[in-house]
Amino acid sequence: MRPERPLVSHSVCDMTKAIIAQDLAVELSGNPILSGLHLTAAPGEIVTITGQNGVGKSTLLRCLAGLLPPAAGKLAVMDGPPSDEPAFWRDVALVADEPAWYPGLTVREHLKLMAAVHHRPRLTAERALELFDLAERADMAPLRLSTGQQQRLSLAMGLTRPSRILLLDEPERGLDADFRVRLGEILTEYAAEGGTVVMVTHDLQLAQVAGARRIDL
Amino acid sequence: MKEIRSLIRSGRPARSWADRYFIAFALLLVAAVVAQPISFVLTAAAGQVTPARVGAGLTLILVGYAAFLALSRALGPVVLPPADAAWLLLTPLSRRAVLSRTALVLLAISVAGGLVLGLALPVAVAAPGRLAAALVLGVAATVGGMAWAVLAQSSTAWDAWLQGTLTVVTVVAVLCTAVPHLLPSVPIGPAAAVVAATAVLLGWRAWSALTRMPARILLDASTRAGHLARATTNLDPGALTWIAEDNHWRTHDLRPHPWPERLPAFLSLAWTEVCRLARRPGRPALLLAATLLPMVASRAGIPAPGLLLVAAGALTAAASVTSGARRDGNNPALARLLGVDPRQTLATRALPPLLLGAAWIVLALTWLGLTGPWLLLGVLTAPAMAAGALRMARRQPVDHSLPLVDFGMGGIPVGPVLWALTGVDIALLGTLPTVQAALTQPAQLGGYVVAQALTGVAVLAAYIWRSRTP
Repeated sequence: MRPERPLVSHSVCDMTKAIIAQDLAVELSGNPILSGLHLTAAPGEIVTITGQNGVGKSTLLRCLAGLLPPAAGKLAVMDGPPSDEPAFWRDVALVADEPAWYPGLTVREHLKLMAAVHHRPRLTAERALELFDLAERADMAPLRLSTGQQQRLSLAMGLTRPSRILLLDEPERGLDADFRVRLGEILTEYAAEGGTVVMVTHDLQLAQVAGARRIDL
Repeated sequence: MKEIRSLIRSGRPARSWADRYFIAFALLLVAAVVAQPISFVLTAAAGQVTPARVGAGLTLILVGYAAFLALSRALGPVVLPPADAAWLLLTPLSRRAVLSRTALVLLAISVAGGLVLGLALPVAVAAPGRLAAALVLGVAATVGGMAWAVLAQSSTAWDAWLQGTLTVVTVVAVLCTAVPHLLPSVPIGPAAAVVAATAVLLGWRAWSALTRMPARILLDASTRAGHLARATTNLDPGALTWIAEDNHWRTHDLRPHPWPERLPAFLSLAWTEVCRLARRPGRPALLLAATLLPMVASRAGIPAPGLLLVAAGALTAAASVTSGARRDGNNPALARLLGVDPRQTLATRALPPLLLGAAWIVLALTWLGLTGPWLLLGVLTAPAMAAGALRMARRQPVDHSLPLVDFGMGGIPVGPVLWALTGVDIALLGTLPTVQAALTQPAQLGGYVVAQALTGVAVLAAYIWRSRTP
């Protein structure tokens, strides 16, 4: 039996906001990690979350993704409480801090798969390969890629599929300086299409990507 | 090297009398356990055998030898404990001196494996008087095979030859069963002499090659062995599959396959499993050859019901195409990034194990001579096998927090037992009508066929329906 999540009251719902957190508190194994947090993110907005190690940035992201219930406060993601349910994951793409892939498939096949399982993919596999500078590695196994290339594949998978909210946990990991700039442009384009980006990062330059609102925990 | 080994030993506590007693007791126990099968073998060797049984027996021996070669090749075979690999390999010490202890261990393993094969040979061909020659043949074959695997570890040419030999041994094993009456009678004595001479040559070359073995290869193999040892001592067998899979794909080029553009979305996940299988042609070939095993075992007079082997083989075949489900289970982030309903995902992922399991059952039952309603009954167990294979792929690591249950002869840990039964449980549940038919051997199978069709589909549907994102 899953524990009851604090349900969002009707007053919290706001059609102009993709994410609304009011007086949010989060605990991990009974230890308070975050408390009294207010956060909003509108469609088309990029919100970057920065702060020292251990302040709860990734924990907040997990909470927004419905993987960790709030201990107190109110939280709405797309007009409802975040829930670890298929309907939620159809609209929310979470690129976790560890790159992930399926064994025995090439880079291209990962992107083809991501595009194939969604009726209206955001990008074609070939466009994603080009955008994320992976065309030369398209027929390789992800295990043979460098850390930065593996991270680019994870990001490419997250951005190939359609979503309304994109949650990124330290997407700059392993990326070179040039590609970090490119990533900023890619995220700006995603936001321009109406998507909401919430990104946890230690890269202050990336945190100041065009039009981004920075929250320092 | 001697000084370094004594320095390492000096940090360890001296062996106590209790330790020595334990070792001696363990050796006695092993001797007592081994004595009974040896006595059985020697008695069986004196009996008369038919040509069909000779062929089946030789097949099993050759399959055992092929498995020995494949395992040696997969595990290294030259490895060091992780600490030794990290500290001793990157020093000016003689490589052969560092690896000499490993070489001795490999020799001991080969001799033990060779003795088992050598003991089995006189039983297969009913030649009790040739036991000594058979033992020499078995030991020479395994020592030579291990030496070959050592050479293959650092040479692609030797590795290609070893793979070729593995294929030849497998093909000969199949031929032994398929056409037993055409088997030439090879004298064991001269064969043992030739194989022993070859083994000495290969052993000498392998011993010489140890000095030139690259540190990179040894470090990789030792890291792999370290993971394996950790997974074994932590009783986490699921991690072994993950490690083996990653090791395979890290060292193999992926041949590009065109993605079918008109493929319906719901079949995309199943297609990835097809891609994976097509990239490991050895695996379907091995599965195909394994369909003969129930028939071979039945002809060789091994006391295991043929249908039990068919069930085990079908479950293994189905489980061989569940990589995607396993990765979804172990890495929830990936499954969520995919953004597909877990039930839909699992339903699609059930297709390859269902089809492969069904194909395996058809072949195995046909070789066993079971056709008509029995064949139909067997095929209808495929959905239950697919459900079992998926459950096996998605099971969590062993839960070591579960209590020990005392059965009078000592405590049995519940966690590993439950882990081992996960998957087999619903496969068994879904094949109950067939199990009952096999036990009661009814004259009419119509009712059982209908019951099996409903049970198999119901178990698979229920498993998929109850699944959720890991």
